[in-house]
Amino acid sequence: MANLKHSDDRIAQMKFVKRKVEGTLNDPRLRYDYSNREVGTLPPDGREGFKWVSEVAYKNIHRIVSRGYDTTEFVEAGYGMTDMLFVDYQARIPFVEEREVLDYLLVIMLDDGLSNPALLARAIARGKNYITQSCGGSVLAFGHAYASFDATGKMIAKYYAMVEEDGMSIADAAALLVKECAKEDHFGINDRYLKDPAARKILDYVEKKLPAVKTIKYVPFMKEVVKAAKAALGNVDIDLIGAMTAAMMDLDFSPEAAWCIMSVTRAFGASAHAIEELERESFDYLGSQLTPKEWYDGPADRPVPSISERAGFAGAQAKTPKEWQDAWKEKEKLFGSGYAIKFYIEDPRKVVSKKK
Amino acid sequence: MDRKPLIQRKTMISYKTEEKTVLRGYNVSDLAEAGYTFADGLFILYQGRIPSENERRMLDYELGEFLEHSMSPSAVSSIAVINGHPMLPAAVAASIMTFGGAHGPGAQHGYMLKKYLDRAADEGKTPEEVAVECVNEYMDSGRAVMGMGQPQHLDGDPRAEPTHLTQEALGVAGVYLRFQRALEEKFYARRAEEGRSYVAVNMVGAGNTALADIGFAPNAAWALGCTVRGYSCAAHALYTLKKGRAWAASRNEPMVQMLDLAMIKYIGPEDRAVPSQEERAEYAKKELESGEFRKWLI
Repeated sequence: MANLKHSDDRIAQMKFVKRKVEGTLNDPRLRYDYSNREVGTLPPDGREGFKWVSEVAYKNIHRIVSRGYDTTEFVEAGYGMTDMLFVDYQARIPFVEEREVLDYLLVIMLDDGLSNPALLARAIARGKNYITQSCGGSVLAFGHAYASFDATGKMIAKYYAMVEEDGMSIADAAALLVKECAKEDHFGINDRYLKDPAARKILDYVEKKLPAVKTIKYVPFMKEVVKAAKAALGNVDIDLIGAMTAAMMDLDFSPEAAWCIMSVTRAFGASAHAIEELERESFDYLGSQLTPKEWYDGPADRPVPSISERAGFAGAQAKTPKEWQDAWKEKEKLFGSGYAIKFYIEDPRKVVSKKK
Repeated sequence: MDRKPLIQRKTMISYKTEEKTVLRGYNVSDLAEAGYTFADGLFILYQGRIPSENERRMLDYELGEFLEHSMSPSAVSSIAVINGHPMLPAAVAASIMTFGGAHGPGAQHGYMLKKYLDRAADEGKTPEEVAVECVNEYMDSGRAVMGMGQPQHLDGDPRAEPTHLTQEALGVAGVYLRFQRALEEKFYARRAEEGRSYVAVNMVGAGNTALADIGFAPNAAWALGCTVRGYSCAAHALYTLKKGRAWAASRNEPMVQMLDLAMIKYIGPEDRAVPSQEERAEYAKKELESGEFRKWLI
């Protein structure tokens, strides 16, 4: 049993207790002595005590301050919620034109019919929860397929950087983006908004409003990407995610900030759905919902084996990689097991190391 | 692609087709193009109507001041959750879900207002009269009067009184503010008579009153409050994600971190040896009979 040097010098100040231990804790292969360890909580060290560190906001007994602005003074001066988003996320007062663009986006994002955030909010409401649970729960619908603001934003930023940093032409960067990303869930261009001009109008609105006060780059770039996508893929157009993400980035919101802001915005809409569910539908009770057998296509009904019969069943342990791989493929046939979900792990050999 | 929703419902709120998204009858794209703001959109969403300009200003004022509140339970939730590096929406969702009976209980306050204003209507009383009854009934029964008191802003929430004044200045004060003002007057007077400390109106008392007077139902008002806070909690989560240390326990930081092990103060049972399986039955019997464990029950 090796005695490892303590990784934390506070351990030396602590009381140690010898104990008789059982099971694997006596195994000599353990890299530490489990029979003689410290008890009690760690003593403090000489560092400054814990504080909530924030660049965003503080409050005292008499003030609430975000990025240096007293929030009550802020609204008394005529600023509103949309302005406050710029302050909280960007530490700056926006131009009126920027506020107008953000307001435009938030109105568009407010509701989307009976989509997944509304579904989640309604389902939560049916359990007889607080409305706050429905509002928060709806945000969880904002995954990388439903609302890929961060992934879309990072994609746009990556290819636009080729223009700014590598000198690539906008047309070439757009074409490369289409070539490499057209099959991604976060591409932002597809056939879903061919008949609805809402997404296209977002790009036009940004181009109408912002150039008077600032330089924009992401919306024009995204229009170029749409042009390249049409050439490569045919009848496609910008969707709401593609348009809103580019617009948010031209407002200087990070892709992650766009994701946060848009998911919260939709939570308002989802809350109305939860309220409506309470008003015109009913609660659900544990065990009350039935699943028709015709919806079931799993293993056929079968008798439960006795406990003594269990001894004859094989475990899941494979002996060789080939055996393991074949078993994995077999398990993919049982939906709900998780084996059929494809998950991409980046090959570390292809990552440019930050270490020299 | 199957574009059918997962659920089928009759809804009065919205619909979406290939051509447009319609909210309470209005094409949302047309609303945005026409220059309506997000605050206008919230009136349409919850109330099915376009508000007066001053109603819009009142809501925008309130959302603006309520959005950020630095370290409240909701912000702390978002920071704690993001320390595990889940996807961002998990931290945002957690922050909004933190709102409950102690943190911004807006709906409860709204229903308290409704209860007493119903009494006023049914019994021919004024809002001022039933507000006095409300304070007396709550305080006589030893219950907290909703909308009063905040544990951090001991001298009064800096946003609360200005919210009342703004409501009056914008001409959007109605029966709710009359009731709330009378409630506060009685509350302050009674606490003073009883020799108790000053406890001021909080943002539920002030903000929720304004939301009620501009037409938001108690649960809609609560949804507005908790959700707008989600914006700032998301910012706190994002700041922590980008500039903080995952796990919040690193010893390489100059300041003790939130989850440093030294932050734990343990006051439970003394450290003790785990009984063997052979000792188990006798050990369990002794523990049960001594009843010592009951003081640790939660």
